[in-house]
Amino acid sequence: MTATVIDDELAFAGRDKAAVVGIGQTAFSRDSGRSVLSLATEASLKAIADAGLTVDDIDGIVRCEQDNVRPYSLAAAIGAKNLHYWADTGPGGVAPCMMMGLAMGAVMTGQAKAVLAFRSLNGRSEMRLGGTGRHDAIEVVGGFGSYDEFYLPYGLQSAGQTFALMARRHMLEYGTTAEQLGAVAMACREHANQTPHAQMNGRPMSMDDYLASRMISTPLRMFDFCLESDGACAVVITSAERAKDLAKPPVLIRAVAGGAPQDHRPGMMFPVVSREDMTELGGRQAGAELWRRAGVGPEEMDLAQIYDCFTISVILQLEAYGFCGKGEGGPFAASGALRKGGQLPINTGGGHMSEGYVHGMNHIVQAVRQLRGEADMQIPDAELCMCTGGPLPIGSSVVFRKAA
Amino acid sequence: MGAHSLLPFTQDRDTAGFFEAAAEGRLVFKACLDCGHALHPPTDHCPRCGGWNTAWKDAKGTGRLHTWTTVMHQIHPDFPAPYTLVVVELDETPEVRLMGRLQGEPELREGMPMEVWFEPLGEGGPVLPQWKPVEA
Repeated sequence: MTATVIDDELAFAGRDKAAVVGIGQTAFSRDSGRSVLSLATEASLKAIADAGLTVDDIDGIVRCEQDNVRPYSLAAAIGAKNLHYWADTGPGGVAPCMMMGLAMGAVMTGQAKAVLAFRSLNGRSEMRLGGTGRHDAIEVVGGFGSYDEFYLPYGLQSAGQTFALMARRHMLEYGTTAEQLGAVAMACREHANQTPHAQMNGRPMSMDDYLASRMISTPLRMFDFCLESDGACAVVITSAERAKDLAKPPVLIRAVAGGAPQDHRPGMMFPVVSREDMTELGGRQAGAELWRRAGVGPEEMDLAQIYDCFTISVILQLEAYGFCGKGEGGPFAASGALRKGGQLPINTGGGHMSEGYVHGMNHIVQAVRQLRGEADMQIPDAELCMCTGGPLPIGSSVVFRKAA
Repeated sequence: MGAHSLLPFTQDRDTAGFFEAAAEGRLVFKACLDCGHALHPPTDHCPRCGGWNTAWKDAKGTGRLHTWTTVMHQIHPDFPAPYTLVVVELDETPEVRLMGRLQGEPELREGMPMEVWFEPLGEGGPVLPQWKPVEA
């Protein structure tokens, strides 16, 4: 075994050195009627304009490896002629927080001066992440390191089913209840109802509504699932120094960290079923390093954007990142902590459950809005906001800070 | 079980042995011969001791139910809902958990004893180790 050596000076070198200076998004819908390149172009141009920059200023582009839009295609589409840096990260919803790290690194090492980070998907009308869609008559699945051959042929075919297996374990071990899961969905829905652009705006949901929603994969109901959405989000990152002269109040990237779980297995999300503790996430390892690098802890966050592919994902991450103890995520959610005015308001634009599902990128945009003081449902005096990425197979996280 | 159109790739260099054994009616798992660590999903290097001395070992074919979900919302045309996915922990090692599928919405409980059976996916096709509750 090789010991991990972390040079603390380097671990802290990125603290507050880069900033998000521009944000942009398209409408979120069930059918955009447009290509993902068109959506990415709109969100990117809005983010660049929001920053007070021009396309000529953009010399870096980072993206999610699952995006169908390539960095060079986006550069061509927006007319950015000075592209000198690009990178992919992932997988999937893990990407956005890691993009902040890529952008920070590029800016600090002189590889780019202004980096565009984006996610664009027609997640409802074209590429349904829920697993439905086109199927060939005979399909051979798995192999080549995917390990899907151990899962897909049995009928384990979606993230929702995988998180259902994890939710069952959490219920068996800690007594977590449907109502506690429902508290997560309701907090997100309440926040969407104060956010005009949210897909579920104008559609209040009671606990009875939640409990009455149909079972998808026991113990998870329809309202334990996030939305499938068409839409794009983009942000612009530059150095904290340069950010001072731009159009909007800069939001500093305080720290970024990813993490792999203690009992980490190869493959994508399905092998989580083999982890000694199926309710443990790489978020625990990501969080320990995140808080160390940030020099602040979970108790100091004014709010958080917690990756909510499913209600149980939020509960597992609240535990992993240290907002509550192991097994206490359900009671923590049910206490009202996640709502506006609570101990830790989360997903303050409605999140994936009720705003739209842009694979983690709308959480970054929402964090920036809050720390600028321009959110629809503004958390008063918000100075520190953490944001998480997709919880499987590995975790990712960021702390953003309002510039002094 | 219904018709099967979703077949496992059985020639992967790290996992082929599992399906070769299943075709002979044997359940196997990968393990490190140096430290005994079981490796699932299978790899040919042991992350615990750092050794490369790994091999397939025969399993008894019995285990305990670790978790399950009844799929009510159908995703794939050949997997009509409801069906129940089970995750079974092998009796010889908690380090290996395998999938299985039961029809409908059976009554299940945590830790209940399970036993393997082998499901051929069509004539001459691959074989999946499956699991069912041990008859009382």
